[in-house]
Amino acid sequence: MTRTLVSNRALVAFVGVVLIFAIGAMLIPGFSSLFSVRAMLVLGCLLAVAALGQTLVMILGGIDLSIPFVIGFANVVFASLYGSGVPVLLIFAIVLGAAALIGAFSGAISAALSVHPLIVTLGVGTIVQAGVQIWTKGLPTGSAPPFINTFVSLGGSVGPLPFPWLVPFTVVLTVAVLFVLRRTIYGRKLYALGSNPKAAELALIRPVVLWAMTFALSAVFAALAGIFLLGFTGSSSANVGAPYLFQTVSAVVIGGTALIGGRGGFVGTLAGALVLIELRTLLIGMGLSEAMVQAALGVLILLLVAAYGRDQHIRTLI
Amino acid sequence: MTPTETTPRAGGAWRTILAARADTRLAALLFVVLLVINIVLNPARFSPTNWLSVLGLAAPLLLASLAVTIPFLAGRGSIDVSVGPLMGLINVIIVQVLITSAGIGSPVVLVAAALVLGLASGVLNGFLAAILRIQPIVATLSTYLIYAGLTLVILPSPAGTVPAWLSAFSGWLSFIPVGAAVVIWLIIRRLPYYDLLMAVGSDDRAAYTSGVNVPAVRFTAYVLAGLFAGLAALSLTGLIGSGDPNIGPGYTLIAIAAVALGGVSLAGGVGGMTAAFLGAADIFLLQSMLTAFNVSTFVLQMTYGIVLVLAVCLNSEKLKLYLRNRMRPQ
Amino acid sequence: MPNRPTLLRYDDIVLKPGRQPVSGTIRAGEIIGLAGLEGHGQEQFLTTLAGLGAMQSCHVAVQTRAGGGIRLVNHRQAAQQGVVYLPRDRRASGIFPALSVLDNFGIPSMPQFSFAGFLNRKKQKQRLAGYTEFLSIKYPAMSAPITALSGGNQQKVLLARLLALSPRVMLLNDPTRGVDLNTRLKFYDAFRTLARDEQIALVILSSEIEEILQICDSVSIFRDFQRTEVIAREDMSMSRVMAAMFGQKEVAL
Repeated sequence: MTRTLVSNRALVAFVGVVLIFAIGAMLIPGFSSLFSVRAMLVLGCLLAVAALGQTLVMILGGIDLSIPFVIGFANVVFASLYGSGVPVLLIFAIVLGAAALIGAFSGAISAALSVHPLIVTLGVGTIVQAGVQIWTKGLPTGSAPPFINTFVSLGGSVGPLPFPWLVPFTVVLTVAVLFVLRRTIYGRKLYALGSNPKAAELALIRPVVLWAMTFALSAVFAALAGIFLLGFTGSSSANVGAPYLFQTVSAVVIGGTALIGGRGGFVGTLAGALVLIELRTLLIGMGLSEAMVQAALGVLILLLVAAYGRDQHIRTLI
Repeated sequence: MTPTETTPRAGGAWRTILAARADTRLAALLFVVLLVINIVLNPARFSPTNWLSVLGLAAPLLLASLAVTIPFLAGRGSIDVSVGPLMGLINVIIVQVLITSAGIGSPVVLVAAALVLGLASGVLNGFLAAILRIQPIVATLSTYLIYAGLTLVILPSPAGTVPAWLSAFSGWLSFIPVGAAVVIWLIIRRLPYYDLLMAVGSDDRAAYTSGVNVPAVRFTAYVLAGLFAGLAALSLTGLIGSGDPNIGPGYTLIAIAAVALGGVSLAGGVGGMTAAFLGAADIFLLQSMLTAFNVSTFVLQMTYGIVLVLAVCLNSEKLKLYLRNRMRPQ
Repeated sequence: MPNRPTLLRYDDIVLKPGRQPVSGTIRAGEIIGLAGLEGHGQEQFLTTLAGLGAMQSCHVAVQTRAGGGIRLVNHRQAAQQGVVYLPRDRRASGIFPALSVLDNFGIPSMPQFSFAGFLNRKKQKQRLAGYTEFLSIKYPAMSAPITALSGGNQQKVLLARLLALSPRVMLLNDPTRGVDLNTRLKFYDAFRTLARDEQIALVILSSEIEEILQICDSVSIFRDFQRTEVIAREDMSMSRVMAAMFGQKEVAL
C-alpha cells in the first residue's frame, strides 16, 4: 500500500503538471507557446537538478539548507577560475570536489554528533558564502564557457527538438536516480535509514557514512545547478542560489517525499519542480506583482500539500 | 523530563546564568566572555546608563528567538520559520496602515493590534501544522512566503514614522516588550501547559498514550510563538522608527541560529527562555564586538557561521558522552 | 557437550560497577537460555555479546570462520564474524515500517546479493523464498510493506534477516514476545533445527520460563546484575528457575 501511495503521490504531482498547464493555456494567451513552454521546461529542470540532493537528504529524514550557498559558491568559483584561464575539466573537478567535501562535512557532523542538519547546513552554508564573498571581495568576475551557455540556453536545441540539452540530461538523470534508489545497496540503505534509524544501525548500516555520502551528493548537485545557472544568467553572483532554499524544499514536498524520512523519490520531485515553475509563470502571466506572486505561491503550496501531502495523526504512530 | 531552570537568587545574575542547565552553560560562558570584551572595547556604549538602549537594540532578536523556541520545544519537526516575515508584516501594518493611513497613534490600539496580528498568525500556523498536519516546515514556509509577499504589497519600500512612545521602545521603554515577554513566559512556566509541552516534545507517543491532547499542545505552541513575534515586531518597529518591508525575513534564520546556540534542541523537549535569550544575546554581542573591530560584513557572516557550528557541536550530547567515556580511567 | 567446538569465549563482563564479572564459553549447537526478573542485567549481557556494549572494558572473543580467535569490538564486526542479534522491540528497532518484506529481510545481507553495489534482486528473492518455506512465513507478496504482516510473521522475517548473514551464534532477545502460540511452536522447531543441523549456537533471553524449559540445554539466571546460577537441562524445572530468579537457593520440590 505504501509503495502504491508513494508512486501515486508522484503521479498526482504529474497530474498537477498537466492540469496547471491546461489552466494556464486557457487563462493566459501565450502560456502554451513554444517560447513559454521551453522557458518553463528549462527553469523546471534547473530547479529539479538543485532539488535532487534535497530529495535524497529528505528521504534520510534530514534537510539541507546549504543548497543555495553551495549554488552561489559553484557559480562564483567556476566563473572566476574560468576567467583566469584554468582548464574547464579541472574547474569541474575542483568545484564539484570542493562541494562534495563541504556536503560530506555537514552530513558527517550531523550524524556523528546528532546535531540537527538544519543548523549544521545553515552554519556551514553561511561560512561557505562568506568565504566566497571574502575571496572575491564581493565583486565576482568571469563567465561560463560557451558550451555551458548552449547546454542550458533557452534558444538551444537537441537536433530537431526545440529545447536545450539540459532537458534530456534531466530526464536521463531522473531515470538514473530511480535506478540507483531502487536497485543499489546505497539506495536501499537510504530508505532503511530514513525509515528507522535505530533498526538501521542494528542492520549494519553506518549512519555517519551514509549521511556524509548523501549530503555530499546533495552539495554536488547543488554545485552543478550553480554551474548551469552561470550558463543561464551569463554572469556570476554569490546570491544566485537564494530562491532555491525554499523552492527545493517545496518541490520535494509537492513531489510526495515526506520530511519524516523513508519515503519518496526523485520522479515526484521533478514533477514538483515543474508544478512550481508553472504556477509562477501562471501568476506572473495573470499580471501579479512579484510580491503578490510570492504570497499567492505560498497559498497554492499550502493548498497542494493540504490536498495530498498531510502527515499521519499521532495515534497512528503508537 | 529536563530539570527546571534555576530561579534567581541573592547571588545575582551571574550566578543564575552560570548555574543554569548544562544545555545553556556554553552559551552562558560565551555570553560572559563576549560581554567583558564588549565592555572593554566600548565602555561608553555598555555603561549602566546606556543599558536600556542596548536592550532596545537587542530586543527584536531576543524576542524573535523566544518565539521560534516555543514550537521547537513541541518536538517532531515542529518549527515556525514565519516569525521573521511576520515581524516585518506587523511592522508595515502598524506603520503604513494604522499610523500613516488611519492616523492612529494610541498606544493601546497599536500594541493590541500587534499582539492580535501575532496571535492570528499563530492560530493560522497552528491550524496548518498541528490540526491540518501539513509538515510544519512546509506550512510555515508557505506562511513565510505569504507574509513576505503581503508586506511588500502593503509597503514596497521603507517609509513612515512612528510616535515618540513607540520609538522609546528601543530606548528608555525597552524593558516593556522584553519585560512583558519575561512575565508571560514565567506565567507559562507555572501552568500545567508547560509540563504538557515538554512531555510532548520529549516523547509525543508516550504523552499521547497517557492522554495528552498532542495536537492541541502543538497548536498552542504556535499561538504562543505568534504572540512573542508580535512583541518582537513592536520592538523592531520602535528600533527602526519606520516601516521597512525588507528587514523582517532576515530574523528567522538568525533567531534559529541563536536558539541552537543557546542549547534549545530542535528535536523537542529541551530549552526555554534562558536558552533563547542567551543564544540571542551571544549573537548580538558577537555582532557588536565585530562591528567595534570594523570588520566587513562578510567576516561578520563567517564568524556567525563558525561560532554556530562550533557551538552546536560542543553542545552535542553525543560528543560529551564520548569525551566522558574517553576520560574515565580504566 | 564437551566434544563440541567452542565458538565464543567471554571474560570479565561487568554488568554494573562493583558486581561480579561474568565469564564463560558458548559452544556450537547449544541453546542457552537467559532468565531473570526484568532489568537484572540479562539484557546487557546479551547485548554485550552482540558487540553493542562497552566493549573496551570486557573481553569477548569469537572463533573466526578461518579458525583463529578474534576479539569483538563492535556490532558490525560481530555480525561479520557470525554473531548476530535480534532486538527485543520489533517495532522500535527491528522493522523498517516504510519498506517491503524483501527489503526488511535483505538490508544487512545486501553485499552477498550484489555486484559493485548493484543488487541482484533475483538471488535475493530466491534466498528469501528458501527461508519463507523453512519458517513458513506468510505474506501477500515480497513487495508488500512489512506492516501488512502479523507480528509473528514480521518476527519471522527478522529471523530470516539474521539467517541470511550465515550466523554461527544467534543472540535472541525475547524472540517470541507478542507472538501467537502456533507461531511460537514453529519458532521452537526452527531453533532446534538450527542448533541440531546447522550447529548454530543460540542464546535466548526469554520472559517465559516455559519456553526456556522447552528448548534450552541450560539456563543462566541473572539476579542483581550478576549471573547467580547456571542450571543444566536435567536439573531444570519451573520452581527451580523461579526460585533462582528470586534469589532463593532452596525450594521445596
